[in-house]
Amino acid sequence: MVVKIYGHAIAPAVKLVVQVCKEKEIPYEVVPVAVYKGEHKTPAFRQFQPFGQVPYIDDDGFILYEYRAICRYLVKKYEGQGTPGLIPNDPKSEALFEQAASIEYANFYPFALGLVTEKIIKKHRGLPADEARVDEYLKTLEAKLDAYNDILGKQAYLAGETLTLADLFHLPYAAIVIEELRCDVLKGRPNVARWWETISARPTWQAVKDTA
Amino acid sequence: MVLQLYGFPTSTCTLRVALVLKEKNVPFKFHMVDLAKGEHKAPGFVAHQPFGQVPYIVRTTRDDDGLVLFESRAIARYIATKYASQGTALIPTDAKKLPFFEQAASIETSHYDPFVSGLAWELRFTTWFGGKTDEAHVKSLHAQLKNKLDAYEVILSKQKYLAGDEITLADLFHLPYGAVILADDIKIDEFSSRPNVNRWWKDISSRPSWQAIKDGLKVE
Repeated sequence: MVVKIYGHAIAPAVKLVVQVCKEKEIPYEVVPVAVYKGEHKTPAFRQFQPFGQVPYIDDDGFILYEYRAICRYLVKKYEGQGTPGLIPNDPKSEALFEQAASIEYANFYPFALGLVTEKIIKKHRGLPADEARVDEYLKTLEAKLDAYNDILGKQAYLAGETLTLADLFHLPYAAIVIEELRCDVLKGRPNVARWWETISARPTWQAVKDTA
Repeated sequence: MVLQLYGFPTSTCTLRVALVLKEKNVPFKFHMVDLAKGEHKAPGFVAHQPFGQVPYIVRTTRDDDGLVLFESRAIARYIATKYASQGTALIPTDAKKLPFFEQAASIETSHYDPFVSGLAWELRFTTWFGGKTDEAHVKSLHAQLKNKLDAYEVILSKQKYLAGDEITLADLFHLPYGAVILADDIKIDEFSSRPNVNRWWKDISSRPSWQAIKDGLKVE
């Protein structure tokens, strides 16, 4: 069965779900949601996603939202195919995976999202960026990436020696911050640069990242 | 050897871990990290927690070479999984229910934590460190929190807890910052006016595990 991903194809969260489908060789279909017309804020949409955001999935009638939860669901359901080990099974590796997954949403995502909101989303809405806030986000993100540099100096990926979902979770927003906004956050952080080059070079991400 | 918890007695994230230890009846020894003295930024600490934050745990047993773990929600998941057969069940094992737990856990981090922790920072913690409250930011965070809790109200009108009809870690994760914004120095109450949210909040906040630690951990 084809997993239906309801969302705007260029949305970072949608790109990530698509990328994970590719990693796990899951047939999928992106069903467009007219976000520019506010379709995601309508009562009909909110029946499936009460916060009025994309994406949500319909997997043969099973509805799920929150893109990290969607990715976890797909990885577990299709454990036996595609890229292995994206969520480890043994207790110690699983604990370190959860630590890495938490690092992503607590120590990376808020600051990356903040930069994207100020420099891109606000621009779309004709609002000026709050430059003081931009400086704050960048400063905090750089300090966080110093810690990433320490961690990644001891191991290849965020949870250990093998790639997990926790690394992939970084892809969409890190790509915007590094490549689109050209924030020079890799400079002086060679381990982060190595890790970023490795994960962003994955063919599954290359296939999705420039979706227009 | 008993599980060692390194943190600060009233830190929200430290309490998040202690709460789950209590729910699972797991004994632990609490070590205070002196934040005022910058102990969390010292090399000895950063060796265990590279982001210089509390809490972290150390668990050593005879059969493994020990585990150091940080990030409060990851620690909570580890405890809930390792001690699955004792105390309250906090992560579903049923493959049909697990995705809804993950959805609920993500709801807490995306649609609740940024706003309540932001409000806690602006209205309490920043002043502790000589900062000034950014009133415009407070207004924005408060407005967003209201919208988010309107969605919670809809979800909780159909089921008892955030992941379904059974309590999970996702519900408990809301307690520490929820308690901070309800406190006397902040008094932001967006729960009482929403009947289902109110019912849910009263349920989770009255649990003996939370009541036992909500005023802070004792330093032995």
